[in-house]
Amino acid sequence: MRLPRIFRTTPFRLTLLFLALFASAASAFLAYIYVATAGEATRRTDRDITREMISLASVYNRAGVDAVNQALIERAASERPFLYLLMTPDGRRISGSIEESPIEDFAGKPAWTTFTITDEAPNGRLVRHPARGLQERLRGGEILFVGADVGEDEAYVMKIVRALWGAGALVVILGLAGGVLVSRNVSRSMASLTGVVDAVRNGDLGARAPVRGTRDEFDELALGLNEMLDRLERSMAGHKHAGDAIAHDLRSPLTRLRARLEAAYLDVEAGKGDPTHALAQALEDTDGVLKTFAAVLSIARLQAAGTAPDPVLFDPTELAADIAELYEPLCEDKGIDFAAELAKELTIRGNREFMAQALANILDNAIKYTPTGGAIMLRVRRRSSGEVEFSVTDTGPGVPEEDRERVVHRFVRLENSRNEPGAGLGLSLVAAVAEAHGGRLELDEGPGKVGEMGPGLRVALILPRVA
Amino acid sequence: MRILIVEDDLQAADAMDRGLSELGHTCTKAADGEEGLQAARAGEFDVMIVDRMMPRMDGVTLVESLRREGDQTPVLFLSALGEVGDRVAGLQAGGDDYLVKPYAFAELSARVEALSRRRETGSVATVLRVGDLEMDLIGRTVHRQGKDIDLQPREFQLLEFMMRHAGQSVTRTMLLEKVWEYHFDPQTNVIDVHISRLRSKIDKGFDRPMLQTVRGAGYRLDA
Repeated sequence: MRLPRIFRTTPFRLTLLFLALFASAASAFLAYIYVATAGEATRRTDRDITREMISLASVYNRAGVDAVNQALIERAASERPFLYLLMTPDGRRISGSIEESPIEDFAGKPAWTTFTITDEAPNGRLVRHPARGLQERLRGGEILFVGADVGEDEAYVMKIVRALWGAGALVVILGLAGGVLVSRNVSRSMASLTGVVDAVRNGDLGARAPVRGTRDEFDELALGLNEMLDRLERSMAGHKHAGDAIAHDLRSPLTRLRARLEAAYLDVEAGKGDPTHALAQALEDTDGVLKTFAAVLSIARLQAAGTAPDPVLFDPTELAADIAELYEPLCEDKGIDFAAELAKELTIRGNREFMAQALANILDNAIKYTPTGGAIMLRVRRRSSGEVEFSVTDTGPGVPEEDRERVVHRFVRLENSRNEPGAGLGLSLVAAVAEAHGGRLELDEGPGKVGEMGPGLRVALILPRVA
Repeated sequence: MRILIVEDDLQAADAMDRGLSELGHTCTKAADGEEGLQAARAGEFDVMIVDRMMPRMDGVTLVESLRREGDQTPVLFLSALGEVGDRVAGLQAGGDDYLVKPYAFAELSARVEALSRRRETGSVATVLRVGDLEMDLIGRTVHRQGKDIDLQPREFQLLEFMMRHAGQSVTRTMLLEKVWEYHFDPQTNVIDVHISRLRSKIDKGFDRPMLQTVRGAGYRLDA
């Protein structure tokens, strides 16, 4: 049998569980109340019976069996009469308000009993009442039984029991109703999230969960889901774009390569010309294709892994000095003023090789775009947040603000730099390295426009502080 | 030189064989790890070129077996796996150098030659001599025809590597790997600039240039 949806929800099941727990706790509490009240009524009756027995025994001791008989007659007329039975030592009735004792095998020791008396109601119907009684042997051997009708007590206890059952039922009904309400509410919130998941599964990456602004865990989940979808959508867009870009980056050189080889082949076949030059160029084209391919592969692997492989702790200043030493002669050759400002005693955690390559790519880019007479500054510093920042500032043409976000994404190249080979991959790899290290890449304007130069570009690779 | 080529891609093996034979080396080919191990045990080789991923027995296992048996023949690993971790694993297994596919033949031959030379000069010379160029490894000084040549630390390391491989072609990638210890491919040929600086120090003002550019390969220091 399939239960209605609401009964299968987690909140409803939790409600049932809590209801069960609450019901047991309530039962224990109600049981305590029952014992306290009903038990108390019985104890009071027993006390009263005992007191009456003592009082009659003292009458007997003082004045003998006839005085007891007299007392029984007097008391029978009182408001709440006890039940009495005075018997001879061998158990024959002398007097009393009942015909025979409910205690059959009387050994002579005081004995308690619970029994039923039958009364005739004014309308003639017989009514049965529960009763309690105590039987004792008097000093002279006579047997005295004192009992009491506990029908009223019993009725009172029954009232309490009924009230308790009612309360229990109310607890269950209210609990169930509450459970249904809570489940409904939670289910509705879940349904909106499930709806988003379904939509995404059906291919609508643009679906987003509504955020109600209550800042509860559903909002948190919705926010997290939306952020995840944002990233996914960006990544998917990136992949789609990557496909186009790889096609572009690889198709042009491959087409060129094919044309060269074909021309060389035709020349050789026709017996004219020397194919050496064409072949050398074909090799160069092949190397270009392989370089692009290697960069694409590195980026893809880093992005797929999500983290940098074989991370170690190392000094970023040492690395920066090393890379600076590698690139400084290149700057000098091109007539670019190169300076480095490296803070000391910093530590970062990551893959040194990838970090070196990232830094090399940033410097490479800066040198490529900075004209002769320009300047490049390499800096390593600790930001106030504790993060470590590598930055390279150049006085090249820079990147327009609206393009900065795009330029770090995979394979994006600005239109005016289309013809520089591989230019699109350098910063993409840096971005991938930054991301794999839990850091980020930031692009800003450089020192500004000075004459023909500038405004320049400032590329910052920011890495998290080492805990 | 006798070279053992253990490579399951037969076309690639043939291309290596042809190229290396043309340079005057004698090549033996094995098509998988098992065959390679048999060949290595049976013959004496100066260098082994071992592909990392092969059927039956992979290159790392092959080299580990040989090293356990005491075979110290220099090994050049070839691999399509170029990540840092892959390289480290290859070198830890007992490889002496690591070349990522696809490679230029000049790169392969330069590395093979560098490996064979390495074994010959296992000595602990304190002075290196190439023609009239002299390097004192302890005093950290360089002279040519008696004239002091003042070098930066990195230039000294660069020249030391060139001198240890005098007469052989060394590629830019080899220099970046062995002198700077970086394994990435720079977008610009930064190495060229360093070589030209070094060249201006050791060749400028002398009648005969020693540091040669080898077209399509790299550089060579000639006596």
